[in-house]
Amino acid sequence: MSLAAGPGRGGGASAAQLPDELQLVVDKHVAYIQSLDTRRDELEYHLTEHLRISGIYWGLTALHLLGQPEALPREGLLDFVFSCLHENGGFGAAPGHDPHMLYTCSSVQILAMTDGFSDLEKRLPNGKMKIAKYIASLQQPNGTFAGDVWGETDSRFLFCGFLALSLLGMLPNQRPNEPPIIDLTAATDHIKACQNFDGAFGVAPGAESHSGQVYTCIGALTLAGELDSYLGEEGKDRLGAWLSERQLPSGGLNGRPEKLVDVCYSWWVMTSMAMIDRVHWIDQKKLTSFILQCQDPDHGGLADRPGDMVDVFHTCFGIAGLSLLRYPGLVEVDPAYCMPKPLVDNFLGRK
Amino acid sequence: MGKYSEDPAWADIVPLPTDEGGPNPLAAIAYSDEYGEAMSYLRAVMASNEFSPRVLELTDDLIDMNPAHYTVWLYRAQCIFELKYPLEDELAWLNETALAHQKNYQIWHHRNTIVDKLGKWQGEAEFVEQMFELDAKNYHVWSHRQWLVKRFGLWEEGELEFTERMLEKDVRNNSAWNHRWYIVNGREAEGVRGVTHEGIRMREIEFARKAIAKAPQNASPWSYLRGIVRKSGMPLASLKELVLQYADTSKPDGVKSSHALDLLADVLAEGADGKQQASEALDLLSTKYDPIRKNYWEYRKGLLGGGSSASTATAA
Ligand SMILES: [Zn+2]
Repeated sequence: MSLAAGPGRGGGASAAQLPDELQLVVDKHVAYIQSLDTRRDELEYHLTEHLRISGIYWGLTALHLLGQPEALPREGLLDFVFSCLHENGGFGAAPGHDPHMLYTCSSVQILAMTDGFSDLEKRLPNGKMKIAKYIASLQQPNGTFAGDVWGETDSRFLFCGFLALSLLGMLPNQRPNEPPIIDLTAATDHIKACQNFDGAFGVAPGAESHSGQVYTCIGALTLAGELDSYLGEEGKDRLGAWLSERQLPSGGLNGRPEKLVDVCYSWWVMTSMAMIDRVHWIDQKKLTSFILQCQDPDHGGLADRPGDMVDVFHTCFGIAGLSLLRYPGLVEVDPAYCMPKPLVDNFLGRK
Repeated sequence: MGKYSEDPAWADIVPLPTDEGGPNPLAAIAYSDEYGEAMSYLRAVMASNEFSPRVLELTDDLIDMNPAHYTVWLYRAQCIFELKYPLEDELAWLNETALAHQKNYQIWHHRNTIVDKLGKWQGEAEFVEQMFELDAKNYHVWSHRQWLVKRFGLWEEGELEFTERMLEKDVRNNSAWNHRWYIVNGREAEGVRGVTHEGIRMREIEFARKAIAKAPQNASPWSYLRGIVRKSGMPLASLKELVLQYADTSKPDGVKSSHALDLLADVLAEGADGKQQASEALDLLSTKYDPIRKNYWEYRKGLLGGGSSASTATAA
């Protein structure tokens, strides 16, 4: 899965004369994602190796939401995922890369989407527990999680830890009769300490509010089952006001005040609004049109904004955003997991 | 032939090609550029756990070509500590590297680690300010600045003046507003009062008031004021005079700031008979000054009815 940008541009060659009624070019996006693995002769393919497994997660999620979950060969995906697995239960971004929380999360998401946990057991006996223990080992005394043995902390790592544990069925609130493998209260207390005076959340206590961090903090509270009790209606109103202010006249959303709009921020803002039931506070028609203007109608793929090069990251979050906006024909996305909702429901035994 | 394969200093190393593709690679890897060669030497030294000056040089080369490769950073950090490499030299190298790769974030964790071990903060604040000349909103640089303040207790070492300098350059820099909040209010747990102290509160309100006068449609100082109201519990009504300078429902065409109108709605709603006027302010936002968020303003109007105060929605 190449993470190299291009070859196409959002809006395509004729971005200036786009029709008002844009359509999602589903087949072209599928073909674009399928083509990414054939680009190994490009230098950028190798320069982005440190993200490879996340790239696969982005491509696969987009394909699932487009209704084409089989478009990448399952065996090849699983072989690659297992080639990134370390003895300690962590996954690196590619073979030979150190294990890291972000790539462990992406790997678990891929395993869930490819129904690969029985394959995991064959390759690594008691694999689910080993992965869970690796994640738990990264929790710090103050409740937050490090990304790896290097010790960098970020609310993103905490959320990824929760998400992967949840798919593994190992969050303490999912197994109340077993000894907890992480300190859930310390973790959620840390998340709460990341909330700012403007009602939104930053990467660490005191750090500026940022919509990507709002997503990880709200997602973590959702998975821990503490979103409603912590925020209440008043907190949701304040956060929703901040999030809805991210929409600019172009219809796109930005990540912080006075920054540029971007398809990926559009997703992070909107999915946070979905988790607090306030998506309708933004102009959904305008946002849909903004996202559609970011696609390359000729070669597939989406860019961060019209005129820029497409890439698999923005392709995933653009399509996920359209799914949340109920764009016709797309599979519904789960806001917290950023995976197909029917699959997550089935996986977690939700009705 | 490449840079490393021709260098006698590396003659003893057999480079390890990538095994990407897993047990059944979908395609053979056939690329022989400088980066690929350097990576194959890194794999080889990592396989034999070599920590040496030449490995430091190799990681320098690789980071320069691809600073986002986290495994290279981790190995470099290990190497620094194994060799007891002078940390000041590492910082000097980091200064150049950070300026060359502004968007990279791995570098900031590495810097944290080195500065923390060194236990000295002198020169850091200046370096950070230099980074802000390139991008005054770089999130990782601001995070590093906050870490420095907390780690070395620099709360009163010119940080407030620093935020003033930053906001003098760009009053819309939300990162600088956030940092100011942090400096003023970040020591509550240690018993140092921020805007709950009247004198400090007055100073900060005055600071925001001046910034609003410069750019009334700038969201940051309005948000800062709301933060003060909320944290200190001061009456919202005390901001009425300020708000009316920028938004007055009796002059619907003369609104200078949608944020003022938003705050005005809350100020009015708190008053005994201001609901009707508050509703008018929200109508102006919904139809004229911020129509993209029409549904939000309609929701706020809904909160006015039913006897509950709208101020609970956003301010108090
Ligand atoms: Zn983006």
